[in-house]
Amino acid sequence: MDWVGLYPTWYEPGVGSGWVVGIMATIHVLASHTSVGAAILFAYLAVIAYRRNQPQLLDYIRQYGMFLLVFSYVIGSITGPGIWYSTTVASPRGISALIHSFVWKWATEWVFFVIEVVGVYLVIYLVGRVDQRTHMRIAVIFGLASYTTMLIILGILSFMMVPGKEAWFTEGGYLNGFYGANTFAQLAMRTAFMFTMTAVVGGIVAARITDPRFKREITRKLAWLGIVSSLTGAALFQWYLRTLPETAHLVMDNRLPSYFQPAIVTVLLGILAYFVMTLLSSRTLVVWGASVATVSILVLGLWPEEVARESIRKPWVAGQYVYSNQVIGRDVPGMHIKSELPLLEAHGFLKSQVFVPDNLRVVTPDNMLKVGESLALTTCSNCHSLSDTGMRPLHRYFGGTGNVAEVENYLRGALSTGATLYMPMIPLKPEEAEALAVFIVNMKQPQAALAHIQHKAALAQTGAQPLSSPAAQTFEVR
Amino acid sequence: MNSEMLYALRDVAGVPSHPIVFLLLGVLTFALHIAAVQVMLGATALVLANAFSRNPMRRRLAAAMTTTAKIAVSVAVVLGVAPLLFVQVTYDPFWYTSNVLSAWWVIGFILLLIAAYMALYFFYSRNHHLEDPRQDARSGWSLVAALALFLVVGFIMHVLTQQMLSPEKWMAWYAPNGVIDPSGRTLHDYNLWRFGFFIALAAPVSGAWLFAYRRYLGAGQLADAAYLQWVGRLAGRMLHVGGVIALALFAGWMSTLPANIASFATSPVVLLSVALLLLTVLLPALLGPRTLNSSLGYAPFALGAVALIAVAALREVLRWTVLKGVHGYDVFTYPVHMDWYSNVLFFATFALIGGSTLAYFLAVAWKVGQTPKGQIYTPSPFIDRIGTASLWLIGVWIVQFFVVGFVVWAR
Repeated sequence: MDWVGLYPTWYEPGVGSGWVVGIMATIHVLASHTSVGAAILFAYLAVIAYRRNQPQLLDYIRQYGMFLLVFSYVIGSITGPGIWYSTTVASPRGISALIHSFVWKWATEWVFFVIEVVGVYLVIYLVGRVDQRTHMRIAVIFGLASYTTMLIILGILSFMMVPGKEAWFTEGGYLNGFYGANTFAQLAMRTAFMFTMTAVVGGIVAARITDPRFKREITRKLAWLGIVSSLTGAALFQWYLRTLPETAHLVMDNRLPSYFQPAIVTVLLGILAYFVMTLLSSRTLVVWGASVATVSILVLGLWPEEVARESIRKPWVAGQYVYSNQVIGRDVPGMHIKSELPLLEAHGFLKSQVFVPDNLRVVTPDNMLKVGESLALTTCSNCHSLSDTGMRPLHRYFGGTGNVAEVENYLRGALSTGATLYMPMIPLKPEEAEALAVFIVNMKQPQAALAHIQHKAALAQTGAQPLSSPAAQTFEVR
Repeated sequence: MNSEMLYALRDVAGVPSHPIVFLLLGVLTFALHIAAVQVMLGATALVLANAFSRNPMRRRLAAAMTTTAKIAVSVAVVLGVAPLLFVQVTYDPFWYTSNVLSAWWVIGFILLLIAAYMALYFFYSRNHHLEDPRQDARSGWSLVAALALFLVVGFIMHVLTQQMLSPEKWMAWYAPNGVIDPSGRTLHDYNLWRFGFFIALAAPVSGAWLFAYRRYLGAGQLADAAYLQWVGRLAGRMLHVGGVIALALFAGWMSTLPANIASFATSPVVLLSVALLLLTVLLPALLGPRTLNSSLGYAPFALGAVALIAVAALREVLRWTVLKGVHGYDVFTYPVHMDWYSNVLFFATFALIGGSTLAYFLAVAWKVGQTPKGQIYTPSPFIDRIGTASLWLIGVWIVQFFVVGFVVWAR
C-alpha cells in the first residue's frame, strides 16, 4: 500500500504552532526590512556625505549601523533561519514545498547574505579608515546586495500565496512559480514600507544626536522618507490586493478579524502624523517616541499583516497545492505531483498515514477518543488550537455541542467533500469522522462523549451494529 | 519505520539537481560553518580565560578575541544557513521528523542563540577598555552566560542531527507506549563522544587561528616581540593539547558505531580526516619560526580548514552509510526535476559575484588592518578594479532579475 508521508505533529497548547511562526516572522520582517532599507539609506547618505563633504552623515551611518548590528544582524539574522525552524516544526511539508522548488534561489540569496554581513561591518568600521571613494563604493555594494535579498525572498513569499503563473501547474518550472503579478506588486509594496520602517527605527538613533542643526537635517530626511514611503506603500497595497486570488478576497471579506482594517489604517495614520510632527519640529524626535512608533508598527501593523497573510491563503499553505494540514490537495502535472486525496478517500488517514501508532490504526470504543485526538492533531491543529487558548480554538466552531452525530454530520458532509471554501478537503472515513466528532464533543461535553463511547461499546458487544455509525443515524447523548 | 515509509516522507516535488550536488555543497558549507563556530567558541573561551587578568598581554588578547568572537557569531550564523538549506533538500524526511519530535527545543535554539549573542554584545559594550589592565573587566557573568548558551545551542543541534539517524526509534519517541506526545519537549538521543569531538575541535582550530593572528600582527608590525612570542606559545599549546583531546573523543565516537557499520571507523575518509587533523596539529612545529616570519603563518589555519572539509565529508558519508546500510534509504534515488536556469543562476552568482565581492571586501579589510591608525588606506588600482567589477556584476544581476521577471510575467 502507498503511504501518505505526513510528518508527526507538534502541538503547542498555549498559543498554537501557527502563532509561534507568526511571532517569529513578525519580528524578522521588522528587523530585515529595516536592515535592507537602512543599507540603501546608507548608500545614499554616503554618496551625499562625500559629494557635499558632510562627514557628520558618516557618523550617523556608523551609529545607525552599530544599532543595526544588534537590532538586525543579531535578532534579524537569527530569526531568519528561525522562520525556517519554526515552519519546520509547525508546517514541515509547507516549508519543504518551498525549499524543494526554490532551493537555488535561497542558495543565491545566501551568497548575498554573506556579502551583506561582511559589508555591514566594513561600512561601519571603515568610516575614516579608507578613502572616500572606496567607502562610498562599499556602501553602494552593501545597499545593492541587501536589496537583492529582498528581490529573492519576495518571489518565494508570493509563491506561498499563489504560483506566479497559472502555467506552473501544467508546465512546472521555477520561473513560472516565481514570477507573476503578485510577486511584483508585493515587492513594490514591501519596498515602500521597508523605507517606512527604516525611517522609524532610524529615529531611535537620530534622537540621540546632540548637534541641533544636524539633528534637524537627519530628522527631516527621515520624516520625508517616512511620509513618502508610507503614502506610496498605501497606494501600492491597493495594487497588491488586486493581484490576490479570488479565494483570498473571499476569506478577507468573511474571515479576517474585525480589528484588522482599523488597526492597519490607524497605524498608517498614526505613523504619518508622527512623521509630520518630527518634520515640523526635530525636538519632538525622542528615543522613547521613536521606540513606541517602532513597537506600534510591529504590533499594530506587521502582526495583523502577517496574520492576514496566513489567513487569506487558506485552505493552502504553499503554492495552492499543499493544504494547511500538510496534505497534498491537488495534482500539479508540471511538477509530477499527485494529489493525496484519492489515497485518503480509499484508505483513510489511520491506515495510510506514516506516523500513527499501531494501536490507533483501527477504531474501537476503547481507543475512540485517542484516535479522535490523533486525527485532530493531524487534520485540525495546524490552524485550530485544541485547547481554550491560542489560534482559532477548535471547540468554538461547534458551539460546545454534546451531539456527536451533529458534529459527525458536518465532518462527513461539508468537510469531507471540500465544500467549505477556506477549509481543506478532509476525506475522513466514517469511523474516523465519528472518532474525531467524539474528540471534539469531549472538549466541552466530556459526559456526552463518554456516553457515546459507552453506547458504541454496548452495540459492539451485542453485535447489533457495525463499529462505524452511519451519520444519518443520529442520537442525542446529552 | 521501514524504507517504504521513509521514501513516502520525501517531498513530492523532487529536487532540481542531482542530490550529489547538494551533498557536496552541504559538506563544503558545513565545514565553513563549523570553522566559524569553533573560532567563536575558542575566542569566547579565550576572552573568559584572559579578560580578568592584570597581565597586559592577556588583556590585549582578550580584547582582540572579544571582537573576533562577536564577528565569528555573525559569520557562523550566516554560513550556517547554507548547510541547513541543503540538508532540508536531500534529507528532508529525517531532518523534519527529528525537528518536529523536539520542536520545543528547536524554537528554544533560536531564542537561546539570540540570548547568547546579546550576552556577548553586552559584555563587549561594558568593556570598551578591556585592553587596559588597570581597568577591571566588568559583567563577567554575561560572558559565562554567552559561552554556556553557545554550548547549549550546539548540543541542541547535535541532538537534532543525531535523532535523524535513528528512524527505528521515531515512533517510540513520538508515541511512547502507543500514546501520542506532540509536545516536542524531549531531546531524545545524543552521543557525547561525537558532540565532545566537535566542541573539542574548537581548541586546535582556535590555536591555528591564533597562529594566523600572530602572523597578521607580525607582518603589519602591530605588536612587540614578547606579545608575539606569548601568543605563539599559547597557540601551540591549544593546537597540541586540544588536538589530542579531540582525536581521543573522535576515537570514542567511532567506537560507538552500530556493529554492522563498525568498519566505517577504518574507512579511507576517516583515515584521511585523522591524517589531516594530525598534520594540522604538527604543522607549526614543522614550520618553526616561519609561522611568524612568512606567510606560512597562515598555513595551520588553511590546512585546518582542509581538515575540517574532510571531517565534514566524513560526517556526510557516515550519514549516508547509516541511512543506506541500516535503514535502506538511498538519497541518490531522489527524483530529479532538473531546472537549468536556477542552477546556472546560483553557480554564476556564487562564483562571480560571491567571489569578486568577498575578495574585494576582504582585501580592503586586510589592508586597512595593516595600515597604521590615523592613516587613510587607498586601494591599489587592481583592488579598485575588483570593486568596480563587483558593483557592475551586482547591477547586472538586478537588471537580469527584472528583465527575466517582466518577460515571464508578460508571457
